[in-house]
Parts: sequence; structure tokens; C-alpha cells
Amino acid sequence: MPERRILGVRRPFFFGIIVLLLALGVISLLSGALGRSFLGDIGLPSWLIVESPQPQLPPEEIFSVLGFSITNTMLTAWLTIAILGGIFYAATRKMKLVPSRLQTMLEAAIGWLLSFCEDIAGKENGRRFFPLVATLFLFVLANAWLSLFPGYGSILVTNAHGETVHLLRGANTDINLPLALALTSFVMVEYWGLKSVGVFRYLKKFFNAGRFIGGVRQVFRGKVKEGLGGLVNGAIDVFIGFIELLSEFVRILSFTFRLFGNMTGGEILLLMMLFLAPFVLAIPFYGLELLVGFIQALIFGGLTLVFATIAVTPHTEEAH
Amino acid sequence: MEGLGINLPSLLAQIVNFAILLGILYLVAYKPIMRMLDERSRRIKESMEQTEEIKQQVEKAEEEFKKRIEQAGRKGQEIIDQAVLTGEEVGQKVRAEAKKEAEALLARARAEIRRERDEVIDELRQEFADLTILAAGKVIEQSLDKEAHRQLIDRVLEESTELKKG
Repeated sequence: MPERRILGVRRPFFFGIIVLLLALGVISLLSGALGRSFLGDIGLPSWLIVESPQPQLPPEEIFSVLGFSITNTMLTAWLTIAILGGIFYAATRKMKLVPSRLQTMLEAAIGWLLSFCEDIAGKENGRRFFPLVATLFLFVLANAWLSLFPGYGSILVTNAHGETVHLLRGANTDINLPLALALTSFVMVEYWGLKSVGVFRYLKKFFNAGRFIGGVRQVFRGKVKEGLGGLVNGAIDVFIGFIELLSEFVRILSFTFRLFGNMTGGEILLLMMLFLAPFVLAIPFYGLELLVGFIQALIFGGLTLVFATIAVTPHTEEAH
Repeated sequence: MEGLGINLPSLLAQIVNFAILLGILYLVAYKPIMRMLDERSRRIKESMEQTEEIKQQVEKAEEEFKKRIEQAGRKGQEIIDQAVLTGEEVGQKVRAEAKKEAEALLARARAEIRRERDEVIDELRQEFADLTILAAGKVIEQSLDKEAHRQLIDRVLEESTELKKG
């Protein structure tokens, strides 16, 4: 009689794991802040007790080189760059027409991003925007997912100022990084817009006073009725232009704080869950954070792509 | 701003980091992978086109083959017809020749017969003349001038047309 298997493992083994997880869950409830607040101290060893996290927004300095402080988020950004570069280098070092497993995987990822760009922005523009969009996506995604590894937020070092700080911290949770990405995205979008549409035509979207001036002229010529109509429409044009201009800059803020808020919030959520119940119970939240990281990366890359597509589309004059 | 941790050096450093990452990924990821993807799709397109072409060629070849077979069949029939015709012609010719030859043979035979008959007639006449002379000599008991008699008889024979050479 063949052995009964559950999820590919032998039955006793499977139930063993379930029991272990349950036990860990109970311990985690007892040792976490939840259990301790209900039951009081029941004499668990101190290494099981997780201290209350004290999250703080600015990144901490690990060491400084020539007065330039290297923060823990800077370190993890470099780590991300090294890992991304390393993986892609390993995959593309010996490219073959019939690909290896790693090559297939990364080719699929890049191919997906490429078709994403080409679908939204068209063949030619999609290829133009692709490197920036793909890099934004990959960087944000890698930062988010790497920060879920054990070691992030748990290795403590003492820095030059004598403070005890975390060695690694998710790079997305340092506001400088989202801001840097948002600024890059903004600058590139405006650059593409100016280059494709032409400086004057592009800026006309924001500073559209043509009809207003025309209205003023007509009023001075004595055609008050037509002039006033022109003035009203012109004022609306100017106002809309102003709002358009404002929205371009607001994008920087929304880009920055969307990513920063989501990532920092996620990190604090995980820390709090670990504080409340150190084992097992926090696992679903790691799954959630995987999803959030992916979505944030997709939003950052996708919005940049959409803004760039809008910027290079010539602003057509409405027919009057 | 301090509370959030924004500071210019870090910001610049992150922008530089991003630029470096973009550069690295462009070199090790986007350029080679895009080239590979393009290359692969080009090959697939090419081989599909080739397949189409080969299919068309095969179709054309098949058509050509059919046409050839048909042609060959027709030609074979033609040759057979020709051969039959030629055979008939040859037969006719042979028959005609045989007939001619036979006729010639017949004519020659006839001529021969006639000649022989003439000879025989001549001979007979000769003998008859001699006999006549002899008989006449006997009858009249006198020897006639042989020469004069012959001439006489010959004249008589010339006059009679029945035994003329035919």
C-alpha cells in the first residue's frame, strides 16, 4: 500500500510541522507584547522577548567618509544595485539563442517590461522610455523585496557617534531615495516632452495666455462684447495652464510620498507584528509586503511611463 | 524636512546611485536581452517566412510535376499514334512495291512466253517450209530450184496473217 502523502511530504512529517508551527504560534503569543499584556510575565527567557520597536523616519548613519555620512539605507541601495547587476550579469554573460533557466527567467521579466512599455507608449516611444521605466521598476521592487530578508532591521552596529543603529534598512524607507527617483522621473518626463513636442508648443500647455491677450486687445478696440467673452475664456485657459503646471510638480510629491509612505508603513507594520507576536503570526504580513512591493514598483514605473507618454503627445488645439 | 530626513547629499547620492544602476542594467540587461529578444523574433519570423516559401515551392513543384506527367502522357500517345501511322504507311508501301514487283515479274514472264512462242513459230515455219518443199518435190518429182521455192513459200507465209508473230 503506497504511503499517504500530504503536499508531497509524508503524513507524520506534515503533522509534525503543523504541531511545531502551532507551538511556535503559542510561544509567540505568550512572549509577544499581546500575551504579556494579558497574562503578565510568566517567566519566559529574555531572548524570546522582542523589545518595543522605535521606528524613526530619518536613516541612521553607519559611518562617514570625508564628512559624507553613509547611512544604512545608502548601504542597502548599494547592495540592491550590486545584486541586480550581479544577477543580470550572470544571466547575460553568455547569452544563447536557446536560453538557460536563469536567462529565460530574466528574459521573460525584461520582455514583460518591454511589452508593457510598448503597449502603453507605442513601439518607438516605448523603447525610448523603457530603460528608465524598467530601472525604476526593478530598483523599487528589489529594494522592497530585499528588505524582507532576515537581517534587515535586526543587525545592530555601533556607529562613530556611539549610537546603536541598524546596519541594514529597506532603501525605500529613506525619503531621499523616493525623492531622488521622483525627481529623476520628473526631469526625464519634462525633457522628453520638451524634446518631442518642441519647447514652445510644450510650454504653451502651461502658459496659454493667447486668448486672454486677444480679449484685452478687442476690449481696447471697443468691441467690448466679444472682448469680454475672450477675456473669460482666456482667463479659464490661463487658470487651466496653471493647474497643469502645478500638477506636474505635485507629481514629484505624490511619487515620493506614495512610495515612502507605503514602504515605511509596511516596515513598521512588520516590526509591530513581530513585537506583538514574534513567530508564525507575522508570516501573512510578509506575503502582503511582497505584494505591496510589487504594486509600488509597478505604480512607480507605470506612472512614469504614462506621464512620459502624455508629455510626448502633442497638445492639439481644440476646434472653436 | 529634518523630521523626514531629507538632506541634499543623500538625495544627490541616491540620484547618482540610480544613474549608476541604470547604466549597469543598460549594459548587462537591457541591451543584450533586447538584442536577443529581437534576434529571436527575427529568426522566428524568418523561419516562418521560409516555411511559407517552401510550401509554395512544393506546391509549384507538384503542379509542375503534374503538368509534366500530363505532357509526357500526351507525348507518349502521340508517338504511339505516329508509330501506328508509320506502320500503316510502311505496310502500304511494302504492299505497293510487292504488287509492282509482281506485275513486273508477270510482264517479264509474258514477254518470255511470247518470245518463246515466236521462236517456236519460226521454227515451225522453217520446218513447215522444208516439209512443203520436200513434199512438193516429191509430188512433182522434180527438183525445184531450192532457193526460188523458199522465197515463194515465205511470201505465201507473209501474206497469211494467222501465223504472224504476235
